[in-house]
Amino acid sequence: MKVPLAWRILTYDKRRTGLALIGIFMAILLVFVELGFFYAVPRGGLLLYDNMRFDLLLASNEYEYQAQPGAFPLNQFGPVRSSPDVERATPIYFGFAKWKSGEGGLWPDVFVIGFDPASHIFAPDSINRQTSVLERADTVLVDSTTRPMFGPLDTGRIVEIGDRKVTIGGQYVLGTGFMGLGVVLASDANFARLFPQRGLNIVNLGAIQLKPGVDPDRAADDLRKVVGSGLQIFTHKALEAHETAYWTTRTSVGIIFGSGLLISFVVGIMIVYQIVSTQVGRQLPQFATLKAIGYPDHSLAGTVSTMSVLIVIAGFIPALGAALGLYSVIRQETLLPVMMSEMRLLAVFAAALAMALISALLSVGILRRAAPADVF
Amino acid sequence: MARPGSVPLAWRNLVWNKARLLRSAGGIGFAVLLMLMQLGFEQAFFESAFAVIRGLDGDILLQSAHKYQFATRDPFPRADLDKARDVPGVASARALYADWFNFFWKNPIDGKVFLVRAFGFDPDAPVFSFADVNASRDKLKAPNTVLVDRGARRFLGMDSAATEAELNGTKVKIVAGFALGPDFQSDGTVIMSDRTFASLLRAPAGNPAAVDVGVVKVKSDDDPAAVQQSLRKALPDTIAVFTKPQLIEFERKFQADVSSAGPIFAMGTIVGFVVGMLISYQVTYTDLSDQLPQYATLKAMGYRTGYLLRVVFEQAGFNALAGWVPALLLSILLYYLIGRLALLPLHMTAQVILVSLGLTLGMCLISAAIAVRRVITADPAEVF
Repeated sequence: MKVPLAWRILTYDKRRTGLALIGIFMAILLVFVELGFFYAVPRGGLLLYDNMRFDLLLASNEYEYQAQPGAFPLNQFGPVRSSPDVERATPIYFGFAKWKSGEGGLWPDVFVIGFDPASHIFAPDSINRQTSVLERADTVLVDSTTRPMFGPLDTGRIVEIGDRKVTIGGQYVLGTGFMGLGVVLASDANFARLFPQRGLNIVNLGAIQLKPGVDPDRAADDLRKVVGSGLQIFTHKALEAHETAYWTTRTSVGIIFGSGLLISFVVGIMIVYQIVSTQVGRQLPQFATLKAIGYPDHSLAGTVSTMSVLIVIAGFIPALGAALGLYSVIRQETLLPVMMSEMRLLAVFAAALAMALISALLSVGILRRAAPADVF
Repeated sequence: MARPGSVPLAWRNLVWNKARLLRSAGGIGFAVLLMLMQLGFEQAFFESAFAVIRGLDGDILLQSAHKYQFATRDPFPRADLDKARDVPGVASARALYADWFNFFWKNPIDGKVFLVRAFGFDPDAPVFSFADVNASRDKLKAPNTVLVDRGARRFLGMDSAATEAELNGTKVKIVAGFALGPDFQSDGTVIMSDRTFASLLRAPAGNPAAVDVGVVKVKSDDDPAAVQQSLRKALPDTIAVFTKPQLIEFERKFQADVSSAGPIFAMGTIVGFVVGMLISYQVTYTDLSDQLPQYATLKAMGYRTGYLLRVVFEQAGFNALAGWVPALLLSILLYYLIGRLALLPLHMTAQVILVSLGLTLGMCLISAAIAVRRVITADPAEVF
């Protein structure tokens, strides 16, 4: 009898239930938005790696994040390449240079990534299709999300990077993450032309691809023994943990969105409680009548809990849809990779149910005190 | 019969049911708290970006016309600063050497290396108005001595008692500290003499003798705007001439344009507003439903709709204040705690107070306006 009764109470006053739904919808949406930001920031840090093909990453001990990667000598690749586990090890070069062709005479800093185009180390099709373009002298590919202050990003435009004139050979789709306001990809040869004092002997990262079937954890352990003491080797999992820790603890990002998340949870509980207790309060005479005709407290508590769970589920579904829509708007507006994951979806759903049950329990207190004689 | 207005009906309605007041204040209050936190973060984001510009002791600031944001090295020749000194009305034109990408600090405690922000100036020609920096500037005359930011992020180890550290691989002596704090780009700051700056700067950053910012003071009886005009005429167009407020505005525009912070915090504020509106609609609607017989009675007694409307809106205003005041108090505490924890300049300002009050009143009054249609249509005969 519980479900039909709870259902009938909810459908009795459709206007009021509709209002409650909107409130719960907003509360859940709010949690999704804060959660999206909270996870998007480390994802922004991982954006480049998510679009690269490697099993292990070789980096200096001074590695902090991509824009502050540390450096090590190229000859460190020798022992890595001679390991029987390693299929290929590709040096990756990072550098900042002035883009002297910005809008209004400004010279924004551009992040330059140098690599061997034949290595196909990047996953995006838009990069691999243009390998031959990268191999042309003084030609770069530019990230499609490079900010407007860099001026037009049209293919064929000649721009000045540092002290060199280079041609934009095309665009690729990856995202600038936290590498800067603009990012270009260059072949290692072109990278060396852009940074002549530096050359190719100082490397920032090494992308290691293992032979098929090799266990990355074991290979990482073995490689750590052969590389110099100033280097570290990340597995994908370790890299993800490092970036997440960096962005959530080293910067103020974690605490900003963490506190937002916390407050949004409290606001969510407030809304659900407000709604459930109002519903119970309004039906108090009816509940009291039920009590008077012999229904026990726990049966009424069951009805209230069912009611609040039903209403939260009904609010959750459109909130999820709206969150997905809002995520795509945020992705476009802020260029942050705000995504939904199944884990988070389930976590928010569980939290929403918990909110519903806690609010129901709090409201049941009102019911328990409802003496039939008082109500009339 | 009491005349309308002589009974504070809205107030009595509000305090009639204390438990309900607590609930509604809690609901509205948390929505307001959400807005206050977002507004505070936005303000802290921008304020931290301006902290160094505000701390420059000058009326007019010169920098390369190519420079797109303050926190990037894009120096101009010293000779241009010398030219500025000859312009009538200029009392002094001093050099700030600055870098954000090429100074690596080794934590004296754990030996880890981090990128830091570095400033250099001639100890005899100070450019900052920070009292703690100026108090110890003479100590910077010895080579390879530095002042460190005691308010920097903890992992840099600048708040330790260490007297020596490494900067770009060179041993430096820590002679004193100052309190500036990090911003969203730099974790910590090191200040040194122009000579030390030039000797430590790593090669690819270009000519160390070039100036990053020219800090110009105008003679006290000259008009800064007129001096700015003369400087523009005297200097090549590769130099941008800003008054301090103009440079802050330039920086604000850049940050608002490129960083995600503006839209992120604006979105958070809007969500808080909508949530608050829904909560306060719920509060007003429930209240009106409960009091409908009373309102109908008043109507039957001859009170005009205008009076009833006023009561509803007054009550919505009271509800807004009942949520806003505790939220404001709680947010001051949270600003302090989070500011300490995240090293952010989270301060309650008049602007945040006014904006949040306006938003809170707005959301409560709008939702009251939507809910009030119920009272207007209340037919005394129907209610009983």
